[in-house]
Amino acid sequence: MKSPDTLRPGEQLFALLLVCFAGYAFWESYGISGFKGLTTGGVMPMLASGVMLVTGGVILSDTLRKAAPLQSGPRGVIAYLFPLRVVLFTLLLSVYVAAIPSAGFLLSSGVLLFVAVWWLWQKGPVWALVISLVSIGVIHVLFRMVFQVVLPIGSLWR
Amino acid sequence: MIEALSYFATSWFDPYLLVLTALGTFAGIYIGAIPGLSVTMAASILISFTFKWEVNEALALIAGVYVGGVYGGARTAILLNIPGAPSAIATAIDGYPLAQKGLAGEAIGLSTVMSVMGGLIGVLALALAAPLIAEFAIKFTSRDYMLLGIIGILLVGTLSGESFAKGAFAGALGIMIGMIGLDPMTAETRFTFGSINLMGGIPFVVAMIGFFGVAEALVQLDHVSTTPIKQKVARIIPAWRDVHRYLALGLKSSGLGTVIGALPGTGGDIAALLAYDQAKRSTKDPEVPFGEGAKEGLIAPETANNAAVGGAFVPMLTLGIPGDAVTAIIIGALYIHGLKPGPLLLTDTPHLFWFIVGNLTLANLFLLVFGLTGIRIFTKVVECPRAILIPMIVVLSAVGAYAIQNNPVHITWALAFGVIGYVLKRYGFQVGPIILGVILGPMIDANYRRAMIGAQENVGTFVYDLISHPISLVLTCALVFMLITQLPFIKGARRSR
Repeated sequence: MKSPDTLRPGEQLFALLLVCFAGYAFWESYGISGFKGLTTGGVMPMLASGVMLVTGGVILSDTLRKAAPLQSGPRGVIAYLFPLRVVLFTLLLSVYVAAIPSAGFLLSSGVLLFVAVWWLWQKGPVWALVISLVSIGVIHVLFRMVFQVVLPIGSLWR
Repeated sequence: MIEALSYFATSWFDPYLLVLTALGTFAGIYIGAIPGLSVTMAASILISFTFKWEVNEALALIAGVYVGGVYGGARTAILLNIPGAPSAIATAIDGYPLAQKGLAGEAIGLSTVMSVMGGLIGVLALALAAPLIAEFAIKFTSRDYMLLGIIGILLVGTLSGESFAKGAFAGALGIMIGMIGLDPMTAETRFTFGSINLMGGIPFVVAMIGFFGVAEALVQLDHVSTTPIKQKVARIIPAWRDVHRYLALGLKSSGLGTVIGALPGTGGDIAALLAYDQAKRSTKDPEVPFGEGAKEGLIAPETANNAAVGGAFVPMLTLGIPGDAVTAIIIGALYIHGLKPGPLLLTDTPHLFWFIVGNLTLANLFLLVFGLTGIRIFTKVVECPRAILIPMIVVLSAVGAYAIQNNPVHITWALAFGVIGYVLKRYGFQVGPIILGVILGPMIDANYRRAMIGAQENVGTFVYDLISHPISLVLTCALVFMLITQLPFIKGARRSR
């Protein structure tokens, strides 16, 4: 796979953030055991973060040679990286993860499936309900009964 | 020899293992075929459910999924012009035009027979080559394992991504993730930020589920409205004349696929593309031009990608270095079961090696059966909309992440890795090197420190050891060669040539 000649929206900023992250990772790695010896626990993290720092610099310098993207500015970045569908779906996932400890796995997953299928498939709530109920049934039989995975019950039901 | 044969036949005569292999192969065909689902994703989720099982049972299921999945991608490539897996990208070039001419059934039949042939040749190569390589690899020392680990990560980064820098960055990021937790040698904390949850480290399966499962689900949101095209499927069993006619090409592509598959970091996708290119160059007078429905263009990639499966197991079982992303996950499965893939695996647990060889052979035979039947039902199933698949992938990923240690925090981590993986993918990073870094990072760390202790913490002695021992020297040269060939002026010179 060859790198495209034009920048992707926000690619330069992203490369800069990678370098900053690598620098921070190197600093944290140094904090583990400093330069006390060559076999301490911090040596490999320092080497790895050092590689990240160098390659991050190379990635950043590559972006400086590329042509500007067609869609630039914050709007272009948001449209490319965080389209509304991705943002909403990620928010839905965050709510799902937050709900599991209290509502339990099956109820949370059922609601996630219902909402997501209704929204993404756009065939109406009845189809979404049928699909989510069948899926939850299959997941329960397969994972709880066959694979014997103990799924979180949820504090509300205890 | 008799012992080896009995291990080979374990899954053939144990009804439970037989069913698991069949089930895995059958499921693999659908997983590989349904765009949006991938074998890597399925294997990473499966590990989280099968880690309590007997190792043979887990391997039977995962190997079946692997063999079926590599083949399954071809079906949607032929029927819908959407490769179900990267290894089927080349298949679509001539497979879909064949389907448009009303020859979808014949194309599927021919690709099935040739895939099985390629798969069996790959397994044969595994059975013959692995013991020889393992015997040699016993001589490897700590520094050699360290070098092998680094080479493995860099190879995946070099071959699968947009640029070497991105691959190396991803690999190093994976190593950093693998370092999180208590240092096994000194019990120092590394990147725990005072969190008790991070003290035990991040299970690599959680990272795998996040980077492969959740990230892929987010990427697929872009294609949620794509509607599949419907095809007519007629005759499926291929004509003997065709099989006989393309046998030589199949054998050649199988050989190529096995070799490419055995190179760490390559896998079926590269094998298929190279085989397609090779077939295009070597076929003088194709009945139909390439790109317009040439059967050669269908057979070459299909044989090669299935042959690459057996090839990918060679470095995985003998050196502990995965041939591709799926074998990287299988390494994880072996670690979970207390086994260490590498040269000692073949001497300490030969039953496991021969079991894998026998099981892969069996999976290929099941592939023949399932590949030539049930295609009409199959065409209905692959039309499953992504709008249903994406939420299902997320829920399965959540179960998988939770099941590792019954810890709900792992679900949060998997989702966080998913979002990070999604952003990285959008900017041309591959997640394969990250996973390899997570898995191989601790191994590289431990071996580096052992080698350095052996050199009495003297950098000069350490470097001298790297160039004064034949195996280390070869590996060091390979690593240096890899790095030099990625220098901008060398790459520029190669491109202009």
